[in-house]
Amino acid sequence: MNAPTPALVARPERLRLVGQRRQILAVMHQRLMFGMLVYAGIIAIIALRLIYLAAFGDHAGRKGGLTDFAPERADIVDRDGQALARTIDAWTIGLHPSKIIGNKLDLARKLAELMPEKDAATYLQMLRSDRSFYYLRRRSPPDLVAAINALGEPGLALEREPDRLYPQTTLAAHVIGYTDIDGKGNAGMERAFDERLRDPELRGQPLVLSISSRVQQAMEHELGEAMKTFSAIGAAGVVMDIHTGEVLAMTSLPQLNPNAAGQGTPEARFNRATLGVYELGSTFKPFTVAMAMDSGIIKSFGKMYNCPDALHVAGSSIHDTHPFGGACSVADIMRESSNIGTAQIADQVGPTRQKAFLKKMGFLEKVQIELKERGRTLTPGANWNQIETMTVGYGHGIAVTPLHLATGYATLFNGGIYRPATLLKVDRNHAPGKGHRVFSEETSYKMRALLRMVVMKGTGKKAEALGYRIGGKTGTANKAVPGGYSNTRVVTSFAGVFPMDEPRYAMVLMLDEPQPTAETFGYRTAGWNAAPAFGRTVARIAPMLGVRPDKNREPNMAEVLPFVHEKE
Amino acid sequence: MSARGFGSVLWAGAVAGAALGFYLVSLRVASERAALEDVETDIAMTQRDIRLLQTEIGTRGRLAQLERWNVRFIRLSAPSADQFVDGGFQLATLARPTPKPAIEAPVILASVPVEADAGQPRLTGDADEAGPAIRTSRPVSEMVHVASYSVPQRPELTAPPAPKPVMKPAVTGAKLARTQAATKPVKTATADPLAPLSSANLKAKGSAPKGTSPKTKDSAAD
Repeated sequence: MNAPTPALVARPERLRLVGQRRQILAVMHQRLMFGMLVYAGIIAIIALRLIYLAAFGDHAGRKGGLTDFAPERADIVDRDGQALARTIDAWTIGLHPSKIIGNKLDLARKLAELMPEKDAATYLQMLRSDRSFYYLRRRSPPDLVAAINALGEPGLALEREPDRLYPQTTLAAHVIGYTDIDGKGNAGMERAFDERLRDPELRGQPLVLSISSRVQQAMEHELGEAMKTFSAIGAAGVVMDIHTGEVLAMTSLPQLNPNAAGQGTPEARFNRATLGVYELGSTFKPFTVAMAMDSGIIKSFGKMYNCPDALHVAGSSIHDTHPFGGACSVADIMRESSNIGTAQIADQVGPTRQKAFLKKMGFLEKVQIELKERGRTLTPGANWNQIETMTVGYGHGIAVTPLHLATGYATLFNGGIYRPATLLKVDRNHAPGKGHRVFSEETSYKMRALLRMVVMKGTGKKAEALGYRIGGKTGTANKAVPGGYSNTRVVTSFAGVFPMDEPRYAMVLMLDEPQPTAETFGYRTAGWNAAPAFGRTVARIAPMLGVRPDKNREPNMAEVLPFVHEKE
Repeated sequence: MSARGFGSVLWAGAVAGAALGFYLVSLRVASERAALEDVETDIAMTQRDIRLLQTEIGTRGRLAQLERWNVRFIRLSAPSADQFVDGGFQLATLARPTPKPAIEAPVILASVPVEADAGQPRLTGDADEAGPAIRTSRPVSEMVHVASYSVPQRPELTAPPAPKPVMKPAVTGAKLARTQAATKPVKTATADPLAPLSSANLKAKGSAPKGTSPKTKDSAAD
């Protein structure tokens, strides 16, 4: 037995094995260490995150976004803060045809019963189509939404989306305008101030208009009644504060419901007060007289003119509805609204001065206001000669908007300063427009008595509202038709100011193609239709505007009454 | 030695306690903030609801609707110039105070002058001379018509008691009314508030409180 004891000598392969094992162990330790570090790192990150959340984070029940409640689009309010346009959440009913699980035929019948605008066959076709989504109804009433919900069909989607609502419906529709289905301003102030209304920083504050809802409603109603009585095809009206240029009411009839603007006719969408231009006739005569006074041609209302039965100028003749057939004073010319007399005054003023005055009053350009619907005025243009000067003098051959006329009357009676009209309330945030002088203060003062006399003794008698000292002028203009002027289609208007002893508000009412009635004895002139509507409107709106009726106050009538020669 | 051995444990405990304390403070703050946010959310939701309701009220009570009601039913119109007054003083002049009835006013009977020659038409100018002589009124007794109800005598009727119970209350009622009418003016005419009180009046006045006072005491004791 000479074999060596194995215990004493390590076999070389075994030694190699030990070395290998050590190496493997070292690698394993390294890997374990690495793995542990990774886990520790992850845990550390989670722990740190938890600590951070505990210290600074939000809690689980947080409802974000609701604390700062602002509408999608700013409200529009009137000068007293009454809402004219608001954005509310409306229900929308949608249809996902692919998600329908019930019997499609039954569902189509039920839908046709609930929403009768389409028949069952159409609904069935929609339910079977491949399209992923249909709008069934936008802005649907709550009871319909409840009924649709009761159907319990997962394919019918009920959602809320912001929708523009006009609580006063047709009130001041042409001023406010309307939005399209996606909430973008399409007309009126909605269009003019679209950016401002959608601006996220200003959405919380409403846009304050100069419109007074009550005045607007009173005027709309009285004008609408006049339009109905005289079967006119349209009407327009403007009330302005003559000192600031704020438009307190502006309407255009027929009315439009901005809640369903798409259903309105183009006629209803048309804004006659700022977009429509009309030859407004004799309401221009006070401007001609004022121009002559400012130019030193007329120093007293007693200045006499020769007023024959017809005036022939440059191949055409001018006629009067009440011919004098002799001498007449300026006061008489205004009282009887004589075209012949005014034409002679305009002729003395001359085209250059007339043009300059009209330009200063803004009558040769689009009317100045925030709205984008503004009509281009029609003037004789380059062809402004003697006869054009004469016709423009009594309001023919020049077409302007009713708002132009209101601005002009405001200029004439606020002391002679032109100020652009504005639809935004004049207050700390919005200063009145920059004005410039057109007429002298003295002219402005003297004109008060002249226009008051027209209402007291002249063509505007029916515009009188006792105690409110209305002064104004009627205007009846034949409409231009192909080949001349129509005798039966007229535009009548009444432009006036009240209270005349201390003028504050100017108003223009216009009727488009009024028809004669039995009460007007067959007349269709402004004195019979626009003037009474004016008087009624003033009687309603003046107390709202703080004008107190007083029968004992009148402007200084000594300027004009001695020169009125009434035929007895 | 042992204290030093526990030192690290104590430190760890203290740090853990402090961390827990901080965490609790932070948790408290977070929960307070959450409550505040809930309130803010409530406010926002309420504001939205108010807005919605205001819009609805505004839409239902829109001016055009009020105007329609006015035209059809209420029919109010604009005030005229005469309906405005300058101030409180002018307003007060429009209202007449209600006249107080004078207690001791002499009783004047309404009388109709009957002219003697009523049959002859006379000129109005003649009345000046003849007026005072003719305008003699008839005596009061002539003008007063006494309304009465007399029961028709029916001797042939065998059972008279049947209508009697019906008639009796009517008669007594009329009697009562007559006595009241007779006594009332006398009372008001004689009752002079400034005159010295008679002994009978004093007695009556003094006895009334005596009678009521024990009653009130009883009720107070209860």
